[in-house]
Formats: sequence, C-alpha cells, structure tokens
Amino acid sequence: MTLTPPAGVYLDYQSAKPVDPRVVDAMLPYFGARFGNPASLHAFGDEATEALERFRASVAAFIGASAEEIVFTSGATESSNLALLGFANRNRRSGDHVVISEVDHISIHNIGKALEKAGFRVSKVPPDQFGRISPAKLRARITDETILVSVGWASNEIGTVQPIAEIAEMLVGTGVTMHVDAVAAEGQLPIDMATVPVGLLSLSSNDIYGPQGVGALYVRKGVKIAPVTMGGGQEGGLRSGTENMAGVAGMAAAAEIMATELPAEAARIAVLRDSLVGAVLSAIPDSHLNGHPTERLPGNAHFRFDGIEGESLVLSLRDAGIAAATGSACSSKTLEPSHTLISCGLLHEEAHGSLECTFGRFSTAADTDALMTVLPGIVDRLRRLSPLYRTT
Amino acid sequence: MKSTQYSEKTLDHFRNPRNVGILEGDDVAIGRVGNPVCGDLMEMYVRIADDRITDISFQTFGCGSAVATSSMTTELVKGMTLDEALEVTRKDVADALDGLPPIKMHCSNLAADALHEAIRNWRAGVRLSPLSATEIASTGVGCGAREANVVEHAEEYLGTGVYHSVENPADLEGKRVLVLDKGERSARLAIELTEHTPRVVFLTELDGLGLSEELAQQVKRSDVKVLFKSRLLEVGGEGEVEKVRIHDLDEDDEYDLFVDAVVLLEG
Repeated sequence: MTLTPPAGVYLDYQSAKPVDPRVVDAMLPYFGARFGNPASLHAFGDEATEALERFRASVAAFIGASAEEIVFTSGATESSNLALLGFANRNRRSGDHVVISEVDHISIHNIGKALEKAGFRVSKVPPDQFGRISPAKLRARITDETILVSVGWASNEIGTVQPIAEIAEMLVGTGVTMHVDAVAAEGQLPIDMATVPVGLLSLSSNDIYGPQGVGALYVRKGVKIAPVTMGGGQEGGLRSGTENMAGVAGMAAAAEIMATELPAEAARIAVLRDSLVGAVLSAIPDSHLNGHPTERLPGNAHFRFDGIEGESLVLSLRDAGIAAATGSACSSKTLEPSHTLISCGLLHEEAHGSLECTFGRFSTAADTDALMTVLPGIVDRLRRLSPLYRTT
Repeated sequence: MKSTQYSEKTLDHFRNPRNVGILEGDDVAIGRVGNPVCGDLMEMYVRIADDRITDISFQTFGCGSAVATSSMTTELVKGMTLDEALEVTRKDVADALDGLPPIKMHCSNLAADALHEAIRNWRAGVRLSPLSATEIASTGVGCGAREANVVEHAEEYLGTGVYHSVENPADLEGKRVLVLDKGERSARLAIELTEHTPRVVFLTELDGLGLSEELAQQVKRSDVKVLFKSRLLEVGGEGEVEKVRIHDLDEDDEYDLFVDAVVLLEG
C-alpha cells in the first residue's frame, strides 16, 4: 500500500487518525489465511495464539511493560471502564472514594457518575488556568477511604500535559492506585511503565495510527481488578470475547512503528504547532492560546477568539476545505460548552469562541499555510457579523 | 442529527448572510434577544414607515443556524406591515430554510423573537441603542444599584483564597482572581492586579460600569474581564478557593466559575 495523506487540509488528528498503510498491510493476513481463533486446539488455533502473544509483547514493549500486563479491549473507553469500574468493584473493601480530574475526557466523567450510582464517592480536582493538575491539590483530596486516582496523561482537547510521574510517585506507599488515560498522549510523548509507577493505563490503537475499535488496558502486576464483561474468559478472564485478531495485529504494528518514529515525529509536528501558534497570535487581534504555553502536546494548538462563536468558525473553515474542531456548545450534543475550558476558568462566552487544531503524521507546513490564508479573513467576517465585537 | 447537517439553504444564508449591519435613525426600532453566555445574541434593526417595514438589518453572535435564521428573517419580512411581521413564527423561518436540525430549533432560532421584540419596543415607545463596547457583556436596559448581599462560605476561606484587603498585589501572582465590585477602589485594584496575573474578573451587579468616566475607560482598556449583571452567591473549594457560584441576573441562571482567589474589599 502507498501512503495516501488525508484529502484536503486535515487539522483534527485528535478526533481520528488515518490508519498507517504499513499497519493495514500487517492486518490483512488476519482477514484471510490466518483466520484462526486462539481458543482452538488445532494448528489454526495454535498459530493464532502464538500471533496474539507476539502482538501483546509489541504493545507492551511500546510502553515499557511486560506482555502479561496487557489486556486487549475494544478501545480506550472500554479500557477506562474496565480500569475504573473493575478496580473499584474489586477493591471496595479497601474504601469507597475515587478521585478524578475536572479536565479529564467526558468518558471518565461519565464513568465517575456510574461509580456514584454504584455507591462510591467521586471527587474532582480542578486544574489551574492552563489546565494543569497540581499534585498538592490532588493530594489534599485523598482520604483513608480513597482507593483510586484517575488523571489523563494529557488533555485531548487543550493539549495540556499533566505531571503524571510526579503524581504517581507521590502516591507510592499511600495504598492508592493510579489510573491514567493515556489516549491523548500516546504517540506524542514517551510512555514508560518501567519508570512511572501507575497501576492502570488506558490505550487506544487509532491514536497511534492503528485501526479504530481496538485498545488495551495496562494492568500492573499485583493490581487486582474485576472484569466488567463476562463470557468465555479470554484475556486472563478480564475481557471475555473472541479476540479481534486483525485489529490487535494492527495495534501491534502501529505500536512498533510508533516506538521507532515517535521522537522524530513529535519534534517535527511541534515545529508546525509553534509556527501556527505564532502566526495566529500575531496575525489575529484578540486571539488567545488555550492550555499551557509550554507543557502541551506537540500536535495541539488550541485558540479562542473574542466575539465569535466556534461552530460558525469551524463551518466557515469547512467551506474552505479545512477540517478543524471547536469546544463550542453549539457543536456538541448537550449544547454545553467544553467542560475542559470551563474548568480552566473561562467564561461561557469565551469557551464558545474556541478553535482546536491538531497535527499528526501526515501534516505538513502546507496545512498551516492553508489555514493562515483563510483564518484571519474568516475571524474578521464573523466579527463584523457579531454584536459582541465592536471596536470603539 | 449533527449540527453540521444543515440544509443547503441554511448553509447559503450562513455563507452569504443578507442584510448584515446596523440601521440608524429616529424611524429605526431595535430588538435584542439571547445571551452571549448561551452562545447566542441577536439584534434586529427595523426601519418603519407608515406601520410597514421598509428596511431591516441584523447582527448576530452565534452558530451557523443563528446567522442563517437572522438572515432569512430579514428577507421574509421586508415590506410587511408590522402586524404581518408579528405573525411570522420561528417555524416559518425554519421552514423557509428547508428545516433546521431538531437540536437547533429552540436554541438558535431566535430571529423571529428579536423581530417581534423590535416591533413591541417600537409600539411601546422603547428606543434601544446599539450596544456600546462597555455594554457588550450585558443585554438589558435600566441601571440597578449595587446591592449588599451575603456571599455564602466566604468567611471560611479567609486566608485560603478570600481576601478582604490586598496589601501586596504580587501575592496574587499568576492566580485567577475574581474582584467583587465595591466601587472605585475595587476597580483600581482590579486594574493593578492585571500587572501580576493574566486573569482578573471584575464582577458587578450593574449593567454598566458604575464608575467615573475616566476609571471606566481605564477598565475598558485594561485586561480586566468584566461580568455585568452578575451576583456572587457562594465561594467553594476543598480546603482553598477553587470556584465561585454566580447568578446571571439577566438570564436568571446559575453557573460555576473556576478561580483561585476572591477579593471582597472591606471598609
């Protein structure tokens, strides 16, 4: 297969990434000749078992873990459900309190609501204005009843990177286990379970240019969780259901490629990000960078513009052939503005004016150039429409 | 249906909105609806002669359908009598656009309301002016007085984020600070704080800056973010100030704002 970058200007890698053609090549045999089920006792089954364990080792190596610490799932959402619900249910006798963060992905917030319904108490730590969680602030919420802390490695939305190693080390010896949703960070930052003492870590395949519908949960040796999906006892009994062999093959190939290419790729996209941030802030008056000025994902540039609304902005960019995202309420199902931006201390009308541009493997300077060709004009046009932006 | 699944007609009115702008003159009625907090603020300017709409224009802060419904409404009613225009409903506007996604029917289809508001204002003799820059975050008319009200739990956070006086503004370095409007001294402090932190919110129950003209100009030019027509209800946080609860007096709605410090000047 040849490399086909996305058509048009794609600046929404955080939402979805194209599958790397090398990954597709690695998956194809598992739709055909190697169709076996690892549970079978014949040669087809043995071949599948052997392949599955090889794939497990590749994903483990990508995060500095050992193979038996990896459980394959259908994606990061399932991984986080298994981590939080599975850990809380299994360890209830040790306590009933869980700490999560205000900036975390909506899926973690909703799992938190499910935990509350099940009788657990859930506290949320607010971030500072840049979206960073302070380890001390988090520490202040831990009580004798706390069993689990969950913090995302980085914000999928504003790109702020959390002091994960610092928080994890702080929790060592407290009896509290830490879960990390690493989806936004994987493929952009090095993740090494040999040096960072977290107990549970959620991964997705698509975020490292593997197929959608596959993910993994890292479960550190000694951390006990209960399954949430019952069935034939696959994946050490933690995730029943016949393995998605082609998907897992894809995730493993994606992890192997990423393990090699991450340093160069992250450095390259950070240059694109910095050039876009510089261009936007200098070319467009009353524009602001959301998230942390330095501690941010190399592929994330997140802006807000006074006096305009994000959905109008994204629609206008779409007309210009540019794909980007916004935290505006008008683009969401709930009609609520992004909880991430609100937790950073922004007012609702400020959160409505946001624009999220995320870069990835196939992004080039031509993409940022195309954006900068039209963005100042679009912002200006929408401001001229807006009663909220009148210069005096 | 996703918000982006707009009809071709809606997209056309969003891309090429008709009749954008402000009309001026004694024969112009203005209607204003929505609230920027909800992501929508719409103004209709209607020029009236012999009980008939001779010209109309709009300004809108809002999503794609907010812009498109405003544009379509101006097209629909130009030339109508005021009574005819009052009969035009949100549904008429949506139908003229070949429909709107269901989620957008209520939140961003305010144009007919703004039109009716303009006509009602005209008939009641109410003459609005275009929003001035200082009024931009407020949408009402009339001017209240500063009311003394109790901020719940404020005293519990003295020393952990609530301040009755600020001797040294540098103590608030880098913090998200909310300063409650207690008159000129508090406004001056808010301006001074912007030299130490990028985030200073000045919260007032008034719908304008009840300050001397000179000081109001200084606030406007500064990086102070002013929240008009808002009442501070409550301070909250675990062990230290983490957020405040605010009552939006205009929308009669309550929401949380995440801050690190609250300044309630005394004396």
